[in-house]
Amino acid sequence: MIKRYLAFFISLFLLSPVTYGASGGDLKPVAIDLGNKASLQRGAQIYFNNCAGCHTLQYHRYSKFVNDLGISEEMIKKNLILTTNKGEKTKLGSTIVNSINHDSIKEVFGVVPPDLTLTARSRGSEWIYTFLTSFYEDQTRPMGVNNVLYPNVNMPHVLWYKEGLKELDENNQLVIKVKGQLNQKEYEQEITDLVNFLTYVSEPAQLERYSIGFWVMLFLVIFVFITYLLKIEYWRDIK
Amino acid sequence: MTKFIAWIDERLPVTKFVKNHLSEYYAPKNFNFFYFFGSLALFVFILQIITGIFLTINYKPDAASAFASVEYIMRDVEWGWLIRYMHSTGASFFFIVIYLHMLRALMYGSYKKPRELLWLFGMFIFVLLMAEAFMGYLLPWGQMSYWGAQVIISLFGAIPLIGESLALWIRGDYVISDATLNRFFAFHVIALPLLLFAVIYLHIAALHTVGSNNPDGVEIKANKNNDGVPVDGIPFHPYYTVKDIFGLAVFLTIFMFVVFFLPEFGGFFLEKDNFVPADPLKTPEHIVPVWYFTPFYAILRAVPDKLGGVIAMGLAIFVLFLMPWLDRCKVKSIRYRSISYKILLIAFIVSFIGLGYIGMKAPTPTLTLLGRIFTIIYFGFFILLYFTSKNEKTKPVPERVTMHD
Repeated sequence: MIKRYLAFFISLFLLSPVTYGASGGDLKPVAIDLGNKASLQRGAQIYFNNCAGCHTLQYHRYSKFVNDLGISEEMIKKNLILTTNKGEKTKLGSTIVNSINHDSIKEVFGVVPPDLTLTARSRGSEWIYTFLTSFYEDQTRPMGVNNVLYPNVNMPHVLWYKEGLKELDENNQLVIKVKGQLNQKEYEQEITDLVNFLTYVSEPAQLERYSIGFWVMLFLVIFVFITYLLKIEYWRDIK
Repeated sequence: MTKFIAWIDERLPVTKFVKNHLSEYYAPKNFNFFYFFGSLALFVFILQIITGIFLTINYKPDAASAFASVEYIMRDVEWGWLIRYMHSTGASFFFIVIYLHMLRALMYGSYKKPRELLWLFGMFIFVLLMAEAFMGYLLPWGQMSYWGAQVIISLFGAIPLIGESLALWIRGDYVISDATLNRFFAFHVIALPLLLFAVIYLHIAALHTVGSNNPDGVEIKANKNNDGVPVDGIPFHPYYTVKDIFGLAVFLTIFMFVVFFLPEFGGFFLEKDNFVPADPLKTPEHIVPVWYFTPFYAILRAVPDKLGGVIAMGLAIFVLFLMPWLDRCKVKSIRYRSISYKILLIAFIVSFIGLGYIGMKAPTPTLTLLGRIFTIIYFGFFILLYFTSKNEKTKPVPERVTMHD
């Protein structure tokens, strides 16, 4: 009887339409490791130095970085908070916004740069990684660059001073044309840190979800065992 | 203590209630795996109510702040993420449990005399649950919430004459808007849960009047001892309470695994596009309902005409209400029914799962054809059942229930 149920559920599982990883074939893999605090801190540094001027993290708060990333309050106030509110420096408990004027930035780039809090969930970490490593020189575009993953994107290649400038060769491969501050490997590491940081920002609960989940699972497995013994004991006299 | 209980009993028959519904409520002793899902459905219902109450404490039913308030729950509310994931996972598990609960009824003929009303109440619960889930899905105010609701409500527009005004009346606006969000919130958190509570009460009351069916489809009340106790019945408490607690423990292990490790379930429980705030000016590339609606959505798409599709989708649900009268075979359990019923039921299950798959995919010519074939099989099940069930070649049904395992 047990075997029949097992077969039934295995067949249900095989028939079920669960197909993982159906998120486009051209994305490059990225090694996300939210346990790596140093990487998350480096990611935060890259983010606030290069991205925060235009993009917001409007659902996330600066104060979260204290416990989640181990960045001190002084450090956050000094290096991460770059905006003011009514003349005073933005408070630690505020959400992460910036001071761009939507109308004027729209004039410059054609769009308001999107909020990035949830991009790692809506598009995925691999998408961000691939996007930031797929810029190439294209003089026909207003910003002089284009993107393989997101053709005709309005965003300039902000990190070009780090990566250098790539171009598309005859085989449609990206090759470095102008060298930047970093070599290819160092650049990819920085982008990995940045994507790691954005993945954390998209769902801070991930930092504790897995470890709590482990203990809950352990408890439940023991609970299943005990309730099974209880059931057997009570049902002993049922023939 | 006994004096206290006696004092209570004089004023409210608590002891009598416990006897009638637990310690001296007799259930067949041969329940199998499929009989866990009734009590599990009740558990998930209560879980949804409790997690839902906690969510409403911080959720804001306002188009301008709904999305942000959900993110506030996910980040700034203590354990908010856990409550929210339990609620979102709970919605999907509710349907898994209910679909298996309904499959059980189809396998063992639990809708047949004297349980027709029990089945009808169950079907009302199913319809209410679909409305509850649909309205709840709008509340996070993501792109898929918004456009899913837009597509489904516009279906009402296909009804001749009154269609457009009806859709307008449901939305409270010409498009999904703040007005829609507010009323869906009202329905989701109070109107429909109250109705569900009432119909679940009736469902259980009807069950306890006629007693449970069982995998053999034998009426245990037909065979009583001198004390009037069914010989194949055992008291619900303690036997089925301990068994159901074991079932609940297994269920919770799977459920909590999803909550902690796979809350998005690869985009099936929480869709990627729903992490983008609703934008009335930007239609997502690919609008799909959540997985538990996709079988019916595939039937809708299988019919080339919009009104026809809406009618087919409505019929696909309505025809289930008629099961007690469509199935004319006297034998209840699939164990003693003919091979023809077994084939029909398997074809029905395959077509239902197949439609569910097709409903999540962007239409292609092959999938559309397949969707049409499965739709024909889906309805064919009911039609063929009506004609084949009357003179089915059944096996002899035993006098008493049998014990497997």
